[in-house]
This record gives sequence, C-alpha cells and structure tokens, in this order.
Amino acid sequence: MSAALPPSSVGAALSRPFSRRTLLAALAGTALAAAGCTGSAGDDADAVTPAQVDQLATQVQVQEALVAAYGLAFAASPDLAATAAPLAEQARAQLDRLRAAAPGSPASSTAVGSPAAPVDAAGARAFLRGQVAVTADSHAFACPDFTGARAALLGSIAAGLRGQDGLLA
Amino acid sequence: MAEDTTGASPSSGSPATTAEDAALQEALAAAHTAVWGYGVVGAALPADAHDLVVAAERAHQDLRDQVAALLTSRSADPVAAEAAYTLPFPVLSATDAAALAVTLEDGTSATWTWVLDQATERSTRELGVAALTAAEVRAVGWRTQAGRAPVTSAFPGLPAG
Repeated sequence: MSAALPPSSVGAALSRPFSRRTLLAALAGTALAAAGCTGSAGDDADAVTPAQVDQLATQVQVQEALVAAYGLAFAASPDLAATAAPLAEQARAQLDRLRAAAPGSPASSTAVGSPAAPVDAAGARAFLRGQVAVTADSHAFACPDFTGARAALLGSIAAGLRGQDGLLA
Repeated sequence: MAEDTTGASPSSGSPATTAEDAALQEALAAAHTAVWGYGVVGAALPADAHDLVVAAERAHQDLRDQVAALLTSRSADPVAAEAAYTLPFPVLSATDAAALAVTLEDGTSATWTWVLDQATERSTRELGVAALTAAEVRAVGWRTQAGRAPVTSAFPGLPAG
C-alpha cells in the first residue's frame, strides 16, 4: 500500500482539463474570427479559413438532414417517437451548437442528402440508425480538418451520435 | 497557454506541440485512472460481465501505451500512474460499479475533447476523435446498466453549458 502518498481522487483526476478554460466561451468568442481573419483577441487555433467556413456549412446541413430524418422516422413509427424522443432533442441541440460555431451560418439552409424517402413503421428504426451513422461518420471525418474549439465540437458531436447509433442497434 | 494546474508534470520537447502535449498528458493520466478503476468495476460485477470489463480495461491500456509512446517520441516524459486513487463513492453493488465505469468513461471523454481543442497535429486529432468516440460508446452501455437517463450524451466530453 502507498502509505507515504495520499491517494489521488478518481473524480479529480478525470475532471481537470476544463477547469482552465471554458471551451464553449472560446467558441462563442471566436465565431467572429471567420474567413481567415484571426483577430488580435482571438485564438489562432479557432480561426477558420474560407474552405473551413464551407466545410462547417456542410456539417450544419448534414446535421439538418439528421434532424429531418428523426421527423420522418417518428412520423412513420409512433412507438419509435415515444422511445427515442430524447435522441431527437440531442440532435437538435447539436444542430444549434453547430450553427453557432459556423460563421455566417443561416438559421436554416437546404440540407444536403435530405432523406426524402418515406419510411414505414417496420423500417423506421433501421432507417434512423443509418442516418445517425452517416452523420456521425461525416462529423468524425471533418473533425481533424479543424483546430481548437471547432475540432472539439465536431469530435464531441460525432461521438455522441455514435452513442446514439449503438443505442438504436 | 499550457497552464498546468494538474498533478501531472508534463515536459515537452517541441514548442509547437507544448499545449498539445500537455493535453495528451491529461489523457494519459485519465487512462491510468481508468485502468485502475476498471479493476474496481470488475471486482463488483458478476462474472457474466467479465468480458465487457476486460475489453474496456484493455482499450484504456492500449490508449495509455499509445499516448505514452507518442509523448516519448517527442522527448516528453509521460506522466506515471498514481500509486493509489480514492473512489468518488463507495462501490458496493453492480449498479455502483456501472456508475464508476460511467465516471471513468466520461472523464476520459473530457480529456480527449480537450486534446481535440489543443492539438496542432492532424494525426493527434484523428486519434482524439477515435478515442472520444470509443469512450462514449462504452459510456452508453454503462449508463444503461447504471440506470441513468438519458443514456446518450449530445456533447460527450464538453462541459455542460
């Protein structure tokens, strides 16, 4: 036993990083640093290039398509709507956060790859799971293209959706 | 930038990756904690959960070794495991064990989200998103076993806002 050393707290050991900086505040503060304009008060890591602005807009559209897919799936399957409502709320919250992180992003736009095909009750769950997986993959693929708070946000959303995917399996 | 308020004592070789290395040290410390913590989790769960615990523990061991090797390759001294840890709550039942596993995975997610925020190397961000995703997938299973609701998280690793 380690009598000489006081044991570290598991909770403390796992809760350190964000005690130094609130990432969300960083995101809000750097949303203005768009189109390659670093800004003297901004963090270089949170500046975005024009290409990244376009990429962020695409990720917003991908998420909009997922939110639409939840609506389609729930309309086709009231049972699924009853059990998976919290997942849809999370998808909408993710969309709100993505829009906030995307410089100049409109409140809504034309979703890319919108799932137009109607789904029946029997296939609603599989349809929705497929849409969640595609969206998770898209955000995970885009994440390393960014730095700073936006990389963290995209990675977090991708992980959250992968968790949804597992739950819907 | 890399203000150190932790028990870890990161030392970095390259100024270009100083902040990233400090974040990786946090992730490494979390991996050490998770490896230790899953020993407690496994002891409190029935035998039929053994494979799940072993798989999770092995994932954290692999991540620990990968991060330690990365830091070493940068002439940074990887943080070591603590000699002992205190539990955040008593683990007296299978539900307690699942709750501890949730704590371990959520903590892991927080450190990897921070790595994503701090990383300058693309390869580190690729590692980060993979590690974060794996932790959240495991966390969903443990939240279910712990009776938590909701079992999924919209923003794993990010502070509640």
